Amino acid sequence: MEPKNILLEMKDYIVEMGAETINWCMQCGLCTNLCPWRLVPGQTGEEFNIRYMQRLGQMGIEGFEDENMLFACSTCGMCQNNCPRGVKIIDNVRAMRAGIVGGGMAPSGLRPILGSCHANGNPWSGPRENRTKWQEGLDIPRFGPDTEYFLFVCCHSCYDPRGMKIARSIASLLQKGGVSFGVIGTEESCCGESMRKVGDEELFQKLAGANIELFNGKGVKKIITTSPHCLWSFKNDYAQLGAQWEVVHYTEVLAGLVAEGRIVPAKKSARKVSFHDPCYLGRHSDIYDAPRELLSSIPGMELRELARSRESSLCCAGGGGRIWAEVPMGERFGELRVLDAEASGAQVLATSCPYCVNMLSDACASLGKQDSLEIMELSELLADSL
Amino acid sequence: MADAKDSSRTIVVAGGGIAGLSAAVEAAEAGFKVILVEREPFLGGRVARMNKYFPKLCPPQCGLEINFRRIRSNPLIEVMTMSEVEKIEGEAGNFAVSIRVYPRFVNEKCTGCGKCSEAARTLIPNPFDYGLSSVKAAYLPHEFAYPMRYVIAPEVAATEEVKAIEAACEYGAVEPDMASRSVEIKAGAIIWATGWKPFDISAISYYGGGKHRNVVSNVVMERLASANGPTKGVIARPSDARPVKKIAFVQCAGSRDENNLPYCSSVCCLASLKQATYLLDREPEAEVAIFYIDIRALGRQEGFFDKVRQDGRVRLVKGKPGEITENPETGMVTVQVEDQETGKILRDEFDLVVLAAGMEPSTAGEKIPAAGVVYDENGFVVSNGPVPGIIGAGCSRRPADVSSTVQDATAAVLRAIQACRR
Repeated sequence: MEPKNILLEMKDYIVEMGAETINWCMQCGLCTNLCPWRLVPGQTGEEFNIRYMQRLGQMGIEGFEDENMLFACSTCGMCQNNCPRGVKIIDNVRAMRAGIVGGGMAPSGLRPILGSCHANGNPWSGPRENRTKWQEGLDIPRFGPDTEYFLFVCCHSCYDPRGMKIARSIASLLQKGGVSFGVIGTEESCCGESMRKVGDEELFQKLAGANIELFNGKGVKKIITTSPHCLWSFKNDYAQLGAQWEVVHYTEVLAGLVAEGRIVPAKKSARKVSFHDPCYLGRHSDIYDAPRELLSSIPGMELRELARSRESSLCCAGGGGRIWAEVPMGERFGELRVLDAEASGAQVLATSCPYCVNMLSDACASLGKQDSLEIMELSELLADSL
Repeated sequence: MADAKDSSRTIVVAGGGIAGLSAAVEAAEAGFKVILVEREPFLGGRVARMNKYFPKLCPPQCGLEINFRRIRSNPLIEVMTMSEVEKIEGEAGNFAVSIRVYPRFVNEKCTGCGKCSEAARTLIPNPFDYGLSSVKAAYLPHEFAYPMRYVIAPEVAATEEVKAIEAACEYGAVEPDMASRSVEIKAGAIIWATGWKPFDISAISYYGGGKHRNVVSNVVMERLASANGPTKGVIARPSDARPVKKIAFVQCAGSRDENNLPYCSSVCCLASLKQATYLLDREPEAEVAIFYIDIRALGRQEGFFDKVRQDGRVRLVKGKPGEITENPETGMVTVQVEDQETGKILRDEFDLVVLAAGMEPSTAGEKIPAAGVVYDENGFVVSNGPVPGIIGAGCSRRPADVSSTVQDATAAVLRAIQACRR
């Protein structure tokens, strides 16, 4: 066994960057065994061990900066929610990544993403002026002094052609329900949730600072997000920076509208649907019922729960910057999710997160199951039923 | 009943498990009148359900029987089964205690002949076996029950069936119209010894307790190994009654976990080591795996730990398992864990997985019906609390093994006597 080099400065730096609870860890190893990487074959599944990584972090030992290890975590929160010591494992991961990315050593695959965020305010290399392209043909109101809610559309849904459909269906439903909402538009920047998770603290601070100034300047008090990632970041990261908005996910707003009879899904559907709980909506934000209430409001629709659901939901692998990772077929969590849906007898796998839609659609295609299983965003199912 | 004159020489003991039993006999043998109040129809509580004690590995029946004999021979002890303390008012030296007595539907004329049981048809889940077996609705709680008296389940008390049960009794012991009643007692002190509940393993979703048939808690393992248990002492898989050859123990199932019980339950390590010997002693081909965070064999228990770990059939693996999965066809259960000595992820199949579930104080849910009693953040009764004369004993005060519980009960008696003298 080679001697290990303990770096006390690294140890202190990690704690300073946010790994405040890293020394609470008692090395029981539950995290490593609840990790979704245990469910797939391949090199990362064999090598990535979150318990061991935190041990290295605790001691500042070289080795955790191995890309395969440090950037493997999708921040799904399965380990963190069950940690017997309440260790904030994701903060630890983020802080350890920050030690590397902050030193200018971001993995090559992430550099263009981070660069685009710096230049365009979004990770998808789309020009700022195209941020509102999804609105074409719709009459989406601008946020103004008399608007109740600011609708913050995730960059993914602003620039990705598949994602745009999600933005459109959510906005249309809010309009049908008579919600007072508006969009600010091209001045908006990415929420930076994923940027912070991959360890680019400086970039996150830049994006968040710009957004806070913009939103407060426009008089924003309440925000509806399309993505659970933006939701989580506004409620947690931004709150730490002093933001004081009331932030809700669109499923919560729509569930309220359905309950009040302000939108009435009337078209019957005989489809069997499973719901995939997005990590950042469920485990991270504790929202499990709103999406299910929406699905069961559609007449005739049969909800088939997946074997792993709610608190035990299996990650799509799109969080923590993993949406930009190249993962060999056969090693993608999304493929397991598609198989879960198949096992539950679903014809539609619905979810309510743009990243999940992206990851699950890719997995469905790589398994060649597009003919038997449709991946849909919940808002699309709902819009179809009106 | 104790009259007002000797109320300051009366001690009420709530709970007839090993703590309450010990307190009752110690107080009575010191010359105090004792009212021993037990909710179940028999004394002995959790200990009566054990197969063996650690570290001596003797069955609990002899220890319990010695205590029962001390009770029988001491006129100062009054035992009230199927009873609960409902209200406590007053102060040390002068408490008024209300006790609710639930109907047993069988009076003291019962000889234990069992004719009533033969006449009964309805089956109820057997509470003595944690529902693993069924008993007739007219039943003896268990074969060593004290008092040795049948019980009629309330489910049949108001039915036609009870008439047949009543007719079967040759001694006039069945009383279907027995009603619940309340009893008032004056006492100088109260010892609260309502003990513990096993942590509900179904709360740990990833271990599959309550879902996978061959994942059981450690208290159920005691029943599976007991000669008077549902399998007559054959350690068999609940799924298909096949004898168990390969068994796993998962330590800290609930304990030392901020999502469940944040404290160490202190007995589970020794309990699992002990339960390992149940199988090792009977089954030469047995294979035992114990998955642990660290083994807490305190004080002189280290010797027992050493003895078990030297058995070549026992494998101790440092690592807290993650998900436990079941093969629906074979009933085999797979434990996934990282062996931290090697860093390897193990996935091993077992006939039976025993979750070393921790102890939750009964007072976490049901508080002492008196004003001012203080509990810690986990529901344990705080010793030296602000109400003198109400004294926690045994596992209502902290998680403890049988011998420490007996010592604690004795200590509680001394404090109760002091309170009576106020």
